[in-house]
Parts: sequence; structure tokens; C-alpha cells
Amino acid sequence: MNLKVFITRLSIPPIFRTLARQKYPTLMLISQISIALAVIANGLFIAVDRFQTISTLSGIDESNSFFLTSSGFTDNFNIQNTIHSDLAKIRALPDVVNAVKTNSFPYSDSGDEFALSTNQDSLSPIPAASYKLDEHGIEALGLELVAGENFSTNEVIWQSPHTSKFAPHVLLTTRTAQALFNTDDWQSTLGEPIYIDNNQLVIVKGIIKTLHAPWPGWKHLEHSFITPSVVTHNSSRYLIRVKPGTLDDMMSEIESTLALGNKQRLIRKMKSISDAKKEVYGADLAALTILLVVIVSLSFIVGLGITGATSLKILKQTKQIGIRRALGANKYDIFRYFLLENLIITSIGIFTGIVFAIALNVFLVEQHAFQKLPLSYLIIAALVMYLLNIIATIKPILKAVRVSPITATQGN
Amino acid sequence: MNYTFELAYKNTFKQANLTALIVLTISLGIAACVITYALIYLMSADPLPTKSARVLHVQLDNWDPNKAAIEPNLPPEQVTWQDATNIVAAKQAKYQAASAITWGMVTPTDKNAAPFLGVMRATHGEFFPMFNVPFLYGQGWQNAEPNEAKYVTVLTKEVNERVFSGENSIGKTLPMLGKIFTVVGVLDDWHPSPKFYDMVYGAFSKPEDLYIPFQIKAELELPHGGITNCWETNLGDSYQGFLNSECTNFELWVEVDELTHFSDYEFYLNSYVQQQKQLGRFARPINNILLDINQWLSYKRVVSKDIYVFFSLALLFLFVCLFNAASLISTKFTASTHEVALRRALGANQQNIFLQSMIEAMILGVLGGVFGLIFSLFGLQGISYLYPNFSTFLTLDLTLISFAFGLSILSSLISALGPIWFLNRTPIAKHLT
Repeated sequence: MNLKVFITRLSIPPIFRTLARQKYPTLMLISQISIALAVIANGLFIAVDRFQTISTLSGIDESNSFFLTSSGFTDNFNIQNTIHSDLAKIRALPDVVNAVKTNSFPYSDSGDEFALSTNQDSLSPIPAASYKLDEHGIEALGLELVAGENFSTNEVIWQSPHTSKFAPHVLLTTRTAQALFNTDDWQSTLGEPIYIDNNQLVIVKGIIKTLHAPWPGWKHLEHSFITPSVVTHNSSRYLIRVKPGTLDDMMSEIESTLALGNKQRLIRKMKSISDAKKEVYGADLAALTILLVVIVSLSFIVGLGITGATSLKILKQTKQIGIRRALGANKYDIFRYFLLENLIITSIGIFTGIVFAIALNVFLVEQHAFQKLPLSYLIIAALVMYLLNIIATIKPILKAVRVSPITATQGN
Repeated sequence: MNYTFELAYKNTFKQANLTALIVLTISLGIAACVITYALIYLMSADPLPTKSARVLHVQLDNWDPNKAAIEPNLPPEQVTWQDATNIVAAKQAKYQAASAITWGMVTPTDKNAAPFLGVMRATHGEFFPMFNVPFLYGQGWQNAEPNEAKYVTVLTKEVNERVFSGENSIGKTLPMLGKIFTVVGVLDDWHPSPKFYDMVYGAFSKPEDLYIPFQIKAELELPHGGITNCWETNLGDSYQGFLNSECTNFELWVEVDELTHFSDYEFYLNSYVQQQKQLGRFARPINNILLDINQWLSYKRVVSKDIYVFFSLALLFLFVCLFNAASLISTKFTASTHEVALRRALGANQQNIFLQSMIEAMILGVLGGVFGLIFSLFGLQGISYLYPNFSTFLTLDLTLISFAFGLSILSSLISALGPIWFLNRTPIAKHLT
């Protein structure tokens, strides 16, 4: 078959003539496809961005940890003794990996921010979150020490909540060390002095791979440091890491052990880290869900629209199809004709849709400071529309293929 | 006219499946718009409609001379203990109250009521009349002199329920924070959304459990809730050191008598800062911000950009539904072409046909509105599940219901426009053979 014959058999000119005759339904279809593409491309882009935010890992053992608060309420409640005995009791349980008293943890959404610098008069210090933990902190949080060493027991200081003094050593996260010393050679940063808030000198003792700040969405999320201290506040937070698969059992066991062991305090706010994460990322999770619902229901509506329009068109043309069949067109020709017609409509819709999608993105960027839409999302959305179109038209087209040549001879 | 309406009505139900499909399509689009518009509309509702323009949020720039509190050059959003107490004591407005979140143990004497950790708002007495806080029993307290601390408290309805089983507890005592407090007031249900007077824990967070006089916070050295921002490096280890510092932790609101006093108050704040400059504070240029409630809400962007994006997408969603419905309506009208041709031939004029089609479209619009509202109710349930904080204020009020019907009827008319035009151009003769 030479090219000219092939193109003739593709019957492109008749398709355009048909479409020109059915301006209104065609226009309606093209409009649906193009707007849907614009929404799907932008919606998917935002959804993927939110999904990435939610699936970021904080560096701690998120699926096997939980926390609770112990609040004393009587005059003779001894904070330091209570923390000591509570932690000893919890750590002795066979299914507990380790436990620690902490001021804060990732996803807690509350904590303290300090400015770190390598010289005392720095004008652009590095902001970082502080974690106050004892020597069990690394194991209890499930952190990875990539250089240097952990604190020893006698380095840990007990402090009142109003103090702003720091113990002489700190552990930094890799990103914090990178920002401070501009190097990836962690060993070289060990023993280096740094200043906290330009006035307190501390020495780097070790480097932690990852430990996020407690405020999701913070600009410097990966900046944090650990200082060996336990703050004696009337309300103490314990972070407890257990062996995989024992979280639910251990949560209730530890809660009742602590509550019964000391009647001068309350155990409150017990929650798993994964639940806390879901809560702080609530808005992102909600946005993700809403966008997915929008994308799916929009695809469904457009799909129904395409199926309906194609069915109607084929119903109207039953006689013509019969005539074409009687004049020698085979089933394959009919199939190809309608498939091609739909591909042409979809392609026009996609072409205008891409223009729409870019316009919508420009609006989102200008009005709501969103990011620019990458090309890949336009391609994905275009593929989705083609796929949707094929799924939506396959049934009516197969029906058209089955139209018998005899139809040509029958009345209206 | 009656006959036209009757025909339109009959036609609506003649092709029931097609009608159902059209109504479903329109109502889904309407629901998407109503749900997202409801979020914007309800979240930006005026929380104090009678006087929101006269109730003002105070910001002063006491920050680091070398660095703005908020880039590029904005003052902190809260004030220091010193400024809070000074400005409230100066009484330059009708009402003035500073406040901060704190917490502590509440230990009822009644053995049946378990001790609990109460979240408290330490504030001046004028907080209550300024924000029109509703009381079930009793009332608030008078703004005390700066160094006078009275051990009085106002309970929320919930706490009164918990501690005093809901009875009138005015004059009763309640041990908490290691002291004995006297109950002077019990609030009725009060949950302003957004919680404009303090949004550090989120614009739709729950109000605190109890209210105590501002000075008690210093007296008992209560913890600093909310967000504390400091720029000085050495505050010392004492609680008093914090109170004397430039750390901000306090919301400061005032109510002026009349709108015209706004500029007077601005003038007062300028002179206050000038006076503090003489004492060696406020090294930055004067940069006070005085915003009324609605200005403050937009300053804090209470309606997040996500919500606006959802609304834009919902509008586009509606457009897709309209184009879809237009195709369906066109199908529906095509099916009745024969009948229309017959009616024209028997003497009905184009206007009659046009009117009948318009009424049909209107009926579709009303049905779309009804089902759109039903879907919206389900949708809002879903939204409260996704955003638990929103559940307190998500409802469909009269405005939203009218919005739904208006949009739905408009939508169905727009999508019927094309088909109606085609129907009216139908040559009669062709269909009568």
C-alpha cells in the first residue's frame, strides 16, 4: 500500500467534514477534555507535592514510637525522682527498645529554636531546633550516629525550665554541620567549637544522620542539634520506642504502669508518632484527598460525557455505517474511522487543554505563590486523557463495528 | 402560559433517565462549588459583626535593631509583658486587654471530680466585654491595678459541668495552681471561628478551659503557652528576667469608642513608643501596626491558599459539568424535535417553544440545586472529617443555599442555551414527513 492510498484509507478528510457538520457536540466534547486536562495536570502536580511532604521521614523510628506526658499535681511531687523511676521502669520492660525524657520531638509542633554559628559575631547564624535528651536519646529515637560518639551518663545535666545554659557538648545533624562548616567530612567537624545564640560556646561531639525539627513545614526542617540535658518541668514528656509489632500493647501497658505507680500525677496526651504525624500534616492530607477526589470524579464525568456523545453519534449514523459496509468497507475500516475521529477530537482537546493548564498554573503562581508546572505533568495529563478516551469509546465503537451491511437496505 | 409550563413539566419526566443524568451532572458541579465556596465564606465570616471595625489588634516593633522580627520589615505579632501591662494601665481606649495562654493543675475539692491539667487564658477583665463573651452565670472581673492580683476565675461551661456538675458556681472556691480561686463567672458556649483574638495554635483551635487575671501569671510564675519569640541573647535564669525582657508572648487588643478614635489611638501608640525610646528601648524606627479584626484576619491569611485553589478547581469542575450537561440537554431536545415541529405546525410560535425550553431548563436547575445541596451536605461531612477543626462552623446557611440554587439555575440556563437555539432553528417541514 503506498502512502497516498494509506492516507485515503485513513479517511481523514471525511472525518473533518463530519466534525464540521456536528459543530456543537464536538465543541462540547473538546471543551470538556481541555478543561479536565488543565485541572488534572495542576491538581496532580499539587497532589504529588503534598504526597512528598507527607512521606518525608523525620529520622526517628516513626512506626514503633509513642509519647506521653506525666504531669504532677501535688505539693510533694518530686520531679527528678519521678523521671528517674519512670524511665527505669519503662526501660526494664522486655518489649521496650529504649525511652527518654524529651522537651520536643519531630511532629510535636512545639520546641525551641536557636541560632548556631562558628564565630561569635556572625550576622547570618544557622537556625536549628534543640532537643534536650540524655544518653539514651539516640537509641530511643532510633537515630543513626555517622561520626563521633554519644554522650556519656555524667555529661547529662539536670536543669530548671527557666535556665538558658547549655552543657559543653552537642550533637549536630548532618545538614546542620554542612550549613555551619560547609563540608561533608563529618570527622573534621568533631571537636570544633560553635556558638549558640552568639554567646555560649559548645563543642561538637558527634554527627547524627537525620533528625528533623519539630515544626513540619519549617524552612530549616533538617536543622537540629541535641544537647545532653533533662529539664525538670512539672509536666514531662517521655518518648518511648518499642519492638516492632508491640506498639498498641505497650502503649496501654506503660500507661497503666505509670498511672498506678505514682498517684501524684496524671498521664495524659498519649499518642503514637504516626498519629501525631497524621495530625500535623492534616491540612496536606486533606488537600491530597480532596484533589484525588476531584481528579477521579472529573475523569469519571468526562468519561461518561465522551461515552454518551460517541454512542449518540454512532446511533445517528447507523444507516451511514451500514451503507459504508455495503459499499465494501470492512469492520476494521469502521473501527479505524471512529477511533481516528475520537483521537482527533481528543488531540484538539488536549492541545487547547495544555494552553488552559499553563494559564491556570500562571494564575496559581501569581495569585497563590504556587510552583511552576513541570512539563512532565502536562504529558502525564495528556496520556491520561488519551487513555480515558479509549476506555470511554471502546464500547460504542465496537457496537458500530457490529452494524450489519443489511442496515443500508432497511428503512429509517 | 400554564399549558407551556405543563408541557415543560411533563417533558422533564418523559425521558427520566436522561433527566436524571443531566441533574446528576449539574448537581455534582454545584456541590463542588458550594462546598469550596462555603469554606471561604464561613472562614472569612466576621467573628464580631457588631463592632469588628472598632476592636483593634496592637503590634509594636521592639525588635533587634539589626534584624526585623518578620522579614522584610514587619514587627512581631505579639507584645512583651512590659508593653502589655503599660498600655493596658494607660487606659487610652474604651476597653483594653492583654492575654496569654498558660496551663496548670486544677484540683477540685470534690472527690468525684478528678484533677486535670487546665489550659488557661491569663487576661485582663475587659477581655470579656470587649469580645462580647456570653456569660451563663456571674461576670468577669475589673481590670486590676498592675501589681494587684486577685485569685478569681471564670470557667467555661464545659469546666463548670466537670467540676460543679453544671450548677451556678458563683462564689464557690476552686483549688488550682496550688492556690484557692473564687469563681466569679461561668461562660455560655463560646467558640469564635476563627479564634481571632489568639491564633497561635491555629485559627480554629478550641478556646481555653479557664480564665484567670493577667497578673496571676507573674505572681505564680506560670508557664508561657503559645509562641514566645526572643531576640536578646541573655535573659538570665529568673522568671522576672523574662517579664522584663523584649520577649513577645502576649496578644494585645483594644476597643475604641468610635471609628474616629482609631487615629487618636494610633497617635497614643506612637507617643508611647517615643517615650519608651527615651528609656532606651525600641531601637528600630517606629513601626506600629493597628488592625481591626477583619484586617487582622486577612493579615494572618486565615483562609489558606489551598482553599482558594480548591474553589478555582471547583469552578472549572462546574464548567466541565456544564459542557457535559449541554451535550445531554442537546440530546434530550433533539429527541423532542419532532414534537416541536408538530406544535409549530399547529400554530405555536417560536416564543412559546423558547419559553417552554427555558422552563424545562429552569426545572433542571432547581433539581440540580436540590441534589447539589444534598451532595454538599455529604461533602461538608467529608470536609469536617478531613479538617476536624472546621467541624464547629461548617453549616449551610441561607446565603449558601441561595448561592446553590442561583448557581444551579444559572448553570442549567447557560448549558441549555445552545440546544435551545438549535431547537428554535429547526426547519418545521423536514420533521413532518
